Amino acid sequence: MVVTREEVKHLGWLAKLEMSDAELQRYTAQIEEIISYLNMLNTIPLEQVKPIAMKKKFSELRKDAPENFEDAVLGTRYRKDGFVKGPRMV
Amino acid sequence: MPLYTLEAGQVVEGIKNREFSAEEYISQLLGRIEKVEPKVNAFVTLNKEEGLNRARMLDKKIRDGEQSGPLAGVALSIKDNICTKGMKTTCASKMLESYIPAYDATVIKRLMSAGAIIIGKANLDEFAMGSTTEFSRHGPTRNPWDISRVSGGSSGGSAASVAALECTASLGSDTGGSVRCPASFCSVVGLKPTYGLVSRFGLVSYANSLEQIGPVGRTVSDVVSILNVIAGSDENDHTTINSNKPTYSLQERKGFRAGLVMEFTEGADPGVSKMIYNAADTLEKQGCKCEEVSLPSVQYALASYYTIATAEASSNLARYDNIRYGFDMNPEGYEWNSYFAKARSNFGEEAKRRIIVGSYVLSSGYYGKYYLKAHQVRSLLKHEMETLFKRYDVLIGPTMPILPFKIGERIDDPLKMYLVDIDTVVANLTGMPAISVPAGFADGLPVGLQIMADQFAEQTMLDIAYLFEQAAKVQRSPEL
Repeated sequence: MVVTREEVKHLGWLAKLEMSDAELQRYTAQIEEIISYLNMLNTIPLEQVKPIAMKKKFSELRKDAPENFEDAVLGTRYRKDGFVKGPRMV
Repeated sequence: MPLYTLEAGQVVEGIKNREFSAEEYISQLLGRIEKVEPKVNAFVTLNKEEGLNRARMLDKKIRDGEQSGPLAGVALSIKDNICTKGMKTTCASKMLESYIPAYDATVIKRLMSAGAIIIGKANLDEFAMGSTTEFSRHGPTRNPWDISRVSGGSSGGSAASVAALECTASLGSDTGGSVRCPASFCSVVGLKPTYGLVSRFGLVSYANSLEQIGPVGRTVSDVVSILNVIAGSDENDHTTINSNKPTYSLQERKGFRAGLVMEFTEGADPGVSKMIYNAADTLEKQGCKCEEVSLPSVQYALASYYTIATAEASSNLARYDNIRYGFDMNPEGYEWNSYFAKARSNFGEEAKRRIIVGSYVLSSGYYGKYYLKAHQVRSLLKHEMETLFKRYDVLIGPTMPILPFKIGERIDDPLKMYLVDIDTVVANLTGMPAISVPAGFADGLPVGLQIMADQFAEQTMLDIAYLFEQAAKVQRSPEL
């Protein structure tokens, strides 16, 4: 077995994705299949090949100046004292 | 002939010469949308009032003798992952269901100042992850040629709205074929520019090193008009190429050398291959030289693509915490981690799968096994392509190896779904430009001819696409 249910559960925790048991079961089977396919990458003789690198000249970056977007554009209605309210940290 | 059937050039001329007004044109399109949208489902949001207002302002400008712009009155559907100021940009996801951007993407700014009118936001697979538009929370976009079949994806709404005559043209985004796949399935033209030709500022990121915004139109000429407006460097996207703004034209040129990629034709359904060989014959009759060529590393392209795309996706989607924008979920009473896990469980199935696969390939100890190898394959492919472009002006093959399939047919088998992207991901991995042009029909369903060129060789690619289009004369929009 390439990928276990426990691994998928752990990755879900790391990626902050809550999954039901049914989802976990379905994803494990599907991800197992996908990762087995990606394992093909380990069969290629690539020792001589350098990873792709960009050589081109990039555009100049804009000046790093703050822009003022009115806070009305924020989607949330959970606010307190002019701040956006988030969940409890500790 | 109803106005909504016109090409971009005819729209611009007609409005400028006051044969009809922009308001009449937009009204006709809105009527058309009302009629066919229940069958097609190409739009997520319509921009009726604002669209009509823009049209009236344009008409006034023209009456007053002011400059109206190269795309005056052209009505565009915009894929709903491209930011439009004041207009919802949802990525067909619950995670952004109420997001209203505070700014326009660079491409939108450029199109608006060229006189274009946004008629609505087009449906897509959630966060552009998919090949059928079935992973949209607004339901699948149906193929105008057969509404029991998929439109392709992820820019399915873009291609279907163009084929169904609901807009003049559209903008999509192409990360692994997301403009070309639906263009092929809906018998319209779709172009993925060279990486760095078009600004990605304001495109909601999925896999930054692969994606480009690209135009969809009913003709090569329409696609050229839009590309001319959106291409060029941008100080807000430092991956855009730092050079003078390019201008492309339609040229009658002949005598091209084309390489027909045999790995693409061999892997395709017989009906599709047959149409592509016919397309090669058509090009030969126009004085092109077509030869079969091999691109051996194509066999590794999908594994490389899905490693890089999921890795970048898992990182990009980490920003959606539902705190500043998103859906209504009160943080009161939640602990930090449990709030995010709960909120983020509202990503759709495919997005979740890609986040987990991406997290897996980037896990400690696996970096060299997957991500690094994937980048080596990228390099290998690029080298093979560059060698071929020394001998050939373009490489051709099918855009999609299969015909548009029934809605629901592949949705439960993600790997099987991924495999249909085999012909399109090569251009994204190598950064090279590619276009899908209608090649004809097999069993009554559209087949697209894909033409790929060397980096920044868009003009050559467009010349051959135009040559083929003029010779093949394939139908663009079905009866609906």
